[in-house]
Amino acid sequence: MKTDSAVVKDAVTSKKVASDKLLLKVEDVSMRFGVLAVLKGVSFSVPKGNILVIIGPNGAGKSTLLKLISGLLSLQEGEIWFKQHRLSKIPPHRISSLGITQLFQDVQLFSSMSVIENVMVGCHLRTRAGFLSAGLKLPQAQADEQRILKRAMSKLSLVGLEQKAWDNPAGLSWGQQKLVGLARALATGSDLLLLDEPYSGLLADEIDKLNQLILQLQRQGMTILIVEHLTDVLMGIGNQVIVLDYGEKIAEGTPDEIQRNKRVIDAYLGSG
Amino acid sequence: MNAFREISSKISAVKLQNRVIALFALVMMTIPLGIGPYPISAMVDVGLYSIVTIGIILLMGFAGQISIGHAAFFGIGAYTSAILTTHYQFSPWLALFLGAALSGGIAAAIGRAMFRLHGLMLAGITLALNLVFYHLVCSMIGLTGGAMGLINIPPLILGGFNFSRSFLTYYMVWIIAIVILGFSLNLADSQVGRTLRSMNTHAGGSENAAQVLGINVNSYKVQILVLSAVYASIAGSIYAHHARVVEPGTFFIPFSVMVVIMALLGGLRSPWGAFLGAGLMIGVREFLWEVMPVFVTGVTGAYELIAYGVILILALLFLPRGLISLFGRAFTKRRATV
Repeated sequence: MKTDSAVVKDAVTSKKVASDKLLLKVEDVSMRFGVLAVLKGVSFSVPKGNILVIIGPNGAGKSTLLKLISGLLSLQEGEIWFKQHRLSKIPPHRISSLGITQLFQDVQLFSSMSVIENVMVGCHLRTRAGFLSAGLKLPQAQADEQRILKRAMSKLSLVGLEQKAWDNPAGLSWGQQKLVGLARALATGSDLLLLDEPYSGLLADEIDKLNQLILQLQRQGMTILIVEHLTDVLMGIGNQVIVLDYGEKIAEGTPDEIQRNKRVIDAYLGSG
Repeated sequence: MNAFREISSKISAVKLQNRVIALFALVMMTIPLGIGPYPISAMVDVGLYSIVTIGIILLMGFAGQISIGHAAFFGIGAYTSAILTTHYQFSPWLALFLGAALSGGIAAAIGRAMFRLHGLMLAGITLALNLVFYHLVCSMIGLTGGAMGLINIPPLILGGFNFSRSFLTYYMVWIIAIVILGFSLNLADSQVGRTLRSMNTHAGGSENAAQVLGINVNSYKVQILVLSAVYASIAGSIYAHHARVVEPGTFFIPFSVMVVIMALLGGLRSPWGAFLGAGLMIGVREFLWEVMPVFVTGVTGAYELIAYGVILILALLFLPRGLISLFGRAFTKRRATV
């Protein structure tokens, strides 16, 4: 029986052979809020099937970068490419339909719905029934309901929460809420998953469980971009790491390279 | 196994809701047999207000969009029917349909522009729409009769039944109201209902979260505004053919505020709340109109406004989820259906 850390190490090794076909390309992206420059000419690319980790202290521009990729913020300078699509001027729901979804740092579950309903909303792109067919309960709408219920339940099973399907998310632990948010994001069927500080507030065993899930998703071909400040957690999971500091990319490389990078050590990791 | 048990209980809840609708329809269909013409007329009003209020509940309670201008859509339906049937001899049923299409079209046009705005701006724009409609109706005298309104609007006739009689109008209104209730409950329990609730920032939703899940938030806002406008327009057309006279005062701000109060009072969580809110408010109105003059001399209009205000305050303080919260799960059920 392999330990969790051994499984993680195996997965990291297997990631080295991940396809180098680019899925996401960020080109010279800058962003200002008033006089404050949040991102300064950031560029990087993510091959399909990779786990890219972006680390940096608070205020480094990590979350802003994710919002630019998901379309929740409009690009001011630079360009972002996903598959063959330029993402500038595309609204967030269209970006989602292209294959990008996001798990927010504060999860943002829909508190007026049960857990399973939250995940069913994530199946939105897989439904065809509109107002008329839903209101008249036409066969298409009923078939949609059955299909997305099944899909939502399978995503909940994946994160191990099928027993909580009919609970209100407010009654779940923070770690469970994060997993519901992950299940909801996975229900979209996206190719690129953006995770904004997914480990924040999690207990050690919950962090292990989330790591296992992330690696399982990667093995299934998903590309994952994680923004985090818990560097020790991420060094073991990402096969590509970018370090942001005051909106600037100060380093990019493998976890080992990053841990030896003097500028990163000085700015962020520390020498201890 | 637990999940399957839950699904079974959910199917039971859906069946229970269908039975409740059937029972409700049966009760409403038998009521006219035991009451006189005046209460029947009041019940027609309850039915008409309920139709408009169901739309408000879907718009406000589900999608989280505030409208205080739905009198305009009610009025567009009423005036379209009145103008097309009195000036151009259209069939009243065709006029009703065209009124609904016009209201829906106007709602779509306004919605596309207004839903780029957020918060109270939406309420402000619907209020402005109501003001514009009122002043247009007052100023286009040749078409609308101006402040005097239009008279001699023909009644709705179907299969030899003349719906100018309260008794028949009652059945028509309540059949339409129950059909709209069924349609709206189906909608509420569907993926469309969940989608609307996901973007309701007043009730635990998040527009950002909805958008990254692929939901075109603005499109859904427009569609639900259109649906609520069509409901209001249908009610307005029936009102015009029932009253056989329209005048602009009916379609002014007080009506818009009244349907919002009915929705808040009944409860924004379920279309059922519309009947409770409209029933209570019309009941109070009738009490003030018919019983108060026995005890109080002079104009009772001021008492009416005071009573509505007091009821709203009490409801918000003690029943923030509306009268519907007093009832069981069959009314407030919001679960995925299989």
